Amino acid sequence: MNSHIYRVVVRSQISTGRLLALAGLSGVAILLAFVARAADDPVEVATRSMGTFGTNIFAPFIALALGSAALGNLVEDRTLVYVWLRPVPRHSVATAAFAAVISVVGPIVVAVMTVAAAITGVGDLLVATAVATALAVFAYSGIFLALGLRFKRSLLVGLGYIAIWELLLSRLGDWFARLSVRSYPMSILSDATGVEMRLADRSTLASYVVPLAVGFAGLVYTSWRLSRTEID
Amino acid sequence: MSTQAGPPPMVQAANVSKWFGDLVAVSDVSFSIGAGVTALLGPNGAGKSTLLRMMCGLARPSNGMVTVLGKNPRTDVAVLGRIGMAPQQESLLDYLSGREFVELTAQLHQVDNPVEAARQAIQTVELDPDDPRRLSTYSKGMRQRIKLAQAIVHDPLVIALDEPLTGLDPRQRREMIQLFHRLGDEGKCVIVSSHVLDEVERFGSRVLVIAQGRLAAEGDFREIRNLMDDRPLRISIRTDQPRVLATALLENSVISGCRLEGTDCVVVDTTEPAAFRRAVAPMARDRDASLLELRPLDDDLESVFRYLVGQ
Repeated sequence: MNSHIYRVVVRSQISTGRLLALAGLSGVAILLAFVARAADDPVEVATRSMGTFGTNIFAPFIALALGSAALGNLVEDRTLVYVWLRPVPRHSVATAAFAAVISVVGPIVVAVMTVAAAITGVGDLLVATAVATALAVFAYSGIFLALGLRFKRSLLVGLGYIAIWELLLSRLGDWFARLSVRSYPMSILSDATGVEMRLADRSTLASYVVPLAVGFAGLVYTSWRLSRTEID
Repeated sequence: MSTQAGPPPMVQAANVSKWFGDLVAVSDVSFSIGAGVTALLGPNGAGKSTLLRMMCGLARPSNGMVTVLGKNPRTDVAVLGRIGMAPQQESLLDYLSGREFVELTAQLHQVDNPVEAARQAIQTVELDPDDPRRLSTYSKGMRQRIKLAQAIVHDPLVIALDEPLTGLDPRQRREMIQLFHRLGDEGKCVIVSSHVLDEVERFGSRVLVIAQGRLAAEGDFREIRNLMDDRPLRISIRTDQPRVLATALLENSVISGCRLEGTDCVVVDTTEPAAFRRAVAPMARDRDASLLELRPLDDDLESVFRYLVGQ
């Protein structure tokens, strides 16, 4: 990993719009936690809230906003040349960008969701939420980093992916659900509290391994793409 | 393919073509470039930037091969350490200051003392290394100069500069041209693209003329200039006696053809523009014809390049 590129990508990710989005979604997470705490069945409501909001909305949308921009913005404003035209191996550039996304998105999303889990008062949910959210962030960051390099309007493509693939097609059957990232972290939450949720019936091993594999696959694709792409 | 005498070429293109779908951007171009300043001259859209991008490995030739210092810049990451480039686009990493931007380049090139190297490079292009402002606040001229600074901060052997004088004032242009010559004299291969004929003349260097994606001419600038001056010229003459003046010019072999247009205009073709310019006024005076206007019809750069492509 190249630390200089890492620092530049981290710096490029900080914008007022993104910080506002982050703050807004964090507020919603905390609000949902208080609602779950006050519910008649806090375990069920809290598990569903953490699953539906944390792994289905918060993690993917923040990973999309920052992941697709990490290299995507450099492509769009034609400044990738200032990173690419250096004697730096392409996998090192990709790893630095991936690490930058993870290190910005991860701590914030995981911390907010863990605090939210703590607010619900459901003890079993605390560690499970932290792990499930972290794995979701890892997987989605890999996907959206690659998407940012592959597509010009990566934000729109990413929104389409979340809306159509993750939220719609995954409901069509088990085969589709297996290809949906969110089903794996949701299974971790379901395992922890025993609350049954739609899609959350992956094996324990798969729940941990698949998100990691997806994240790494995104990283590998990004490296490959960087070595093949023509720089504007 | 032409070769330069002396040391081995630093940049070599062999039968290079590049197409984007149906659009042919570069067509079967071959050349060798050694140390010194070489100008890449051609109108906008001629394929200069595409050629420079291929030289720097940013784009893959559709056909043929480009080598820099004997290596393929597309696949050999190490050779990128010997290349410096200032691309044409104005966009920069706007959230960085000028010093941070140039320092980043030095760091990525693993320069021993990136802070000092950046400071020197920025001073070389006459900017203030202590200026804390972000690049987003820089003027066009400052952006051009900071691009130059990042292109030279790691002391590269091959320097590719795409329209580097755009946006600079005359004094800055002069300084930059001197800098290019200094770098060339130090044994570096400096390739400067431009679509401005007079600008390239001031480089006083070897020229590759690119037009419609093809290498239209190459050589010393004076040879190119002569070739351009010798080309046939079409001139519109507005006069009160177009028929009389055209006859006189034809009789004296100053023009090779003519066409009357309306009652006060004749369009003439000449292969000797200089002789035409000397002769036309005395001939008009001798025949009591008033010269109202002389207007070259194809003196724009595009037509110059079109002529060279045809040669």
